[in-house]
Amino acid sequence: MTVVTPREGAGDGSLWQRLVADDGPGRLLFYLPAVFMTVFFLVPLALTLVWSVFERTMFWMEPGFTLAAYGDFFLSGRLDSFLNSVQSGLVTVLVAFALGFPIAVFVRRSLPVAAQHKAVLLFILPFMISEVIRLFSLRPVLGRNGIVNDALIGIGLIDLPLDWLLFTPAAVVIGEVMSFLPFMVFCGFLAMEGVPDYVFELCSDLGSGVVRTFVRVIVPLAAPGIFAATVFIFVNSLGLFLVPDLLGGPGAANAGTLVVNAIAALDFPLAMAIAAVMVALMVGLLLIGHRLFDITKILQPYR
Amino acid sequence: MNQSEFTRRLLLQGTAGLLGTAALARVVPAQAATDELRLWAAPIMRPFDTWAPFEEKAGIKLAWSPKSASADEALSKMMVGDGRKLYDAFTDNGGGMEDAMAENGVIAELDTARIPNWNLLRDEVRDPNGEAAHSIRYKDKVYAVPYIANADSLAYNKSMLGQDYNSWEALFDPEFKGRTAMQNDFGPTMTVTAIYLHDSGKMSIKNRSDMQPDEIQGVAEFLIEKKKAGQFRTFWNGFQQGVDLLASGEVAMMSCWEPIQRVAAKKSGQDIVYGTMKEGHQVWNNIVMLTKDAAAAGKDAAFYKLAETVLSPWYTTRQLSRFGFASLTTGMVDYLEANAADFDVADLKETLKRKEQRYAVAGNAWQNVYPTHLRTYQEWWSRVQAA
Repeated sequence: MTVVTPREGAGDGSLWQRLVADDGPGRLLFYLPAVFMTVFFLVPLALTLVWSVFERTMFWMEPGFTLAAYGDFFLSGRLDSFLNSVQSGLVTVLVAFALGFPIAVFVRRSLPVAAQHKAVLLFILPFMISEVIRLFSLRPVLGRNGIVNDALIGIGLIDLPLDWLLFTPAAVVIGEVMSFLPFMVFCGFLAMEGVPDYVFELCSDLGSGVVRTFVRVIVPLAAPGIFAATVFIFVNSLGLFLVPDLLGGPGAANAGTLVVNAIAALDFPLAMAIAAVMVALMVGLLLIGHRLFDITKILQPYR
Repeated sequence: MNQSEFTRRLLLQGTAGLLGTAALARVVPAQAATDELRLWAAPIMRPFDTWAPFEEKAGIKLAWSPKSASADEALSKMMVGDGRKLYDAFTDNGGGMEDAMAENGVIAELDTARIPNWNLLRDEVRDPNGEAAHSIRYKDKVYAVPYIANADSLAYNKSMLGQDYNSWEALFDPEFKGRTAMQNDFGPTMTVTAIYLHDSGKMSIKNRSDMQPDEIQGVAEFLIEKKKAGQFRTFWNGFQQGVDLLASGEVAMMSCWEPIQRVAAKKSGQDIVYGTMKEGHQVWNNIVMLTKDAAAAGKDAAFYKLAETVLSPWYTTRQLSRFGFASLTTGMVDYLEANAADFDVADLKETLKRKEQRYAVAGNAWQNVYPTHLRTYQEWWSRVQAA
């Protein structure tokens, strides 16, 4: 039997071989992602900044330079709503860390290797249900006549239903944690997966207790992963307007709501200005994160 | 050409041809027949499970695309986007939208002589000097057909509260702190609040539909004060959220659309009532408009058939029965009585009676989609939301 290498066997198919050769035009395929990101991310981002200083007209906008949209944002109640959503996002991150990261550590340290990935994949299941359905289904759970209140009254812990479980900032945090907890579990698990077992054995041999090991060893080693989860959760918390819409109190709004409201009011420059402020906030957060945790390590295994 | 090249080329050509045809069909909509109307309308326009009964009655074919109730969607689609090429007729709120569309040359002026049922419209709309005349006209010319209307009011759970209410005072009464809700939309919420504040003497507001900046501020500050005091359980968004709030007993009363009250009452089995408020209500029209492009393409005849049908008692009574809405037309009671087998006549006559009572209240204010000081409304509403 004659073994034919692809190059030798090219014959009439040499066109394909030339295409995929190291120096052939096929290498341009690797630039496709860059083209995609330029067209669908960088250009819209640049347009966002440009349009944010355009003049608003009755139904659209026209070229010009004005900071009126930024004034409408910073000098109105919108800034308060934005800051409220930043605060809510930070609380969500803290709660998600407190609940999600121990789960990640537990899965990594206590489950058999064969079961670890399956356990983590379980956290994907909620994502298979529509976000609207998941959030809306919290209402009969957290409401005055909901399951939680019925249960608490039933076992005699409270006499009157708890009002703050729904249509309050607390309800928004509950909804956001429920929605975004998997990010903390995934990122925490991936970060922990890169930490070799001997690190834990060393801690144990040196007599470090559980809490000290967690605070002084595990968290610092997993810091890039925790930061990645923080960014994912915080960004979604600011932008996903469904949560305050369905679970928040009267007029509850996050940055996403503000953008949607501005577009609904046909104030496109204002919507762009709010988006620009969000981008600036995130870039700032990433710079701080990079300075503190070297976020280039996020995708690198522990060394 | 060998066999493999032939096959591959054929395959490629065939695939490209299919994809190209499909893409072209998406990009360039086929020119529909003149008796088919491409209708972009809110689902609430269809008081049936399908459009078939309407098509049969009107004698036209409809290619329906569902549309949300948000005004920005129509404006951006029709003025900035490709809506005029995609649709022949579309619906939206009267009292502002038709002005914007006519001013920008999107919609065609209508010849009401081609709609015999136009005479069924009540004087408020039909008479050029009627109080709702502006809701279908631009510069005194008719551009829209009103297909549903209502006077929005307060829904309250009588089973829970044990009595009837006829004043917005109840909505703001500290006795019901944390058990009331309003719509998360500055238009209806600030208008209703202005109606209450004006009628109760707490503020003097010249035009509750089109307030001046200081009046807007006063109304917003009142809402902020109430919100901070915990008066509102939440502000509802959308039909299903409204139904859920009322039906679950989460709130005892709220300002809302009539269909929300009807569905919540049926869903919960409780006595949830849509009251008549002595101070007044926000009254509104929903309208259907014909695009200029469609008129030029000879679709006007099909549109006039649609207009004739939505103004007929056959349609208005079915709207009333299904959603609790009906356009401002006459002849519904006669039709109901003549077709008693098809309707719960007693219930619908009672609904119409309450509707008439609401329309008759002197303090009513017509919906204004684009008030003069729109940005001030938006600015103060953002403060209400953030409070």
